[in-house]
Amino acid sequence: MIEGSLVRLRPIEMADLDRYHAWINDAEVTRFLNMRYGVSRAAEEAWLAGRTAQPLSYANVGFAIDTKDGVHIGGIDFHHALPEDRAARLGITIGDRTYWSRGYGTDAMRTFVRFGFAEMNLNRIDLTVDERNARAIACYQRCGFVEEARLRQDRYSDGAYHDTLIMALLRDDWLAAQTAGQPPR
Amino acid sequence: MIQGALVNLRPPELDDLDRDTRWINDREVTRYLSARYLVSRAAEEAWLRDHAGRPLSFSHAWFAIETKDGRHIGNTDLFEIVPEDRKANLGILIGEKDCWSKGYGTDAVRTLVRFAFDEMNLNRVELHVFAYNPRAVAAYRKAGFVEEGRMRAAHYAEGAHHDVIVMAALREGWRGAP
Repeated sequence: MIEGSLVRLRPIEMADLDRYHAWINDAEVTRFLNMRYGVSRAAEEAWLAGRTAQPLSYANVGFAIDTKDGVHIGGIDFHHALPEDRAARLGITIGDRTYWSRGYGTDAMRTFVRFGFAEMNLNRIDLTVDERNARAIACYQRCGFVEEARLRQDRYSDGAYHDTLIMALLRDDWLAAQTAGQPPR
Repeated sequence: MIQGALVNLRPPELDDLDRDTRWINDREVTRYLSARYLVSRAAEEAWLRDHAGRPLSFSHAWFAIETKDGRHIGNTDLFEIVPEDRKANLGILIGEKDCWSKGYGTDAVRTLVRFAFDEMNLNRVELHVFAYNPRAVAAYRKAGFVEEGRMRAAHYAEGAHHDVIVMAALREGWRGAP
């Protein structure tokens, strides 16, 4: 268990299958994710089996996000963490939409970022976000992420091309924010 | 053959093995690539057999670069090709160092991007280049790529973190033609 203020992060379990399957087929949830096609229960189960079969490790870091009272509301992970560059790309989904815009995503981000820097010894964490996803961009900015690039016409959906932003947080900037007396995260 | 002004692009062949193995183990070449570890001849051969053994296609756009007189000087490819977004990432190496700074790389990039837009019907071609490789950045600009941003400290090599520049060419208004 990795404790945040509003959430805790825990390993994903096969028992989470129903929720992951529902979220990945919710168009409002997947609108800004790289998920266009629906996912069958069997395919989602195979994905979850693969995800849970291996112990969590540097190359396989993904947690379920639970509220403090044990409600599973989403997932957060690093993909292709590179030990030489000490860099990783972060992905997060709050699948239970009743928990949107209430600070749970931001707390999960802060908790996971702290884990990335303070435990995994990363130097850089970045992410990509659809330019239209203002709620997510505001959340990432609150967590200290800075826009580094705008990939023009990177992603096609809803009948048009949209830009993708690359945002990143460096270890030194994260450390400076801790010592500057911001809320301990 | 895909014809450029200074180079042609052709499919990879098993005969390329000696050169490919030499280039991928030449640190002057690979310091500008994400390749970090040395590659045995056996590993390179397995990789080349895989690449040369499959027909080139939308999802496997991989070419050897030849000068007009048939000398194999490097390789270039499109990867992470996404049909819905009509986008791809571009990679290139000029392994023969006496061919650096003579316009071959620029022409190979132009030729591949033109193929990507005019034949593969892509809309966006992206590439990543280390900030310590200004020669390549200049070549990509000449080939019609625009800087979209800079990923700070995204690459570690030679004892320090370095920025990575993201560049892209869009189909609309592409000015890569000489």
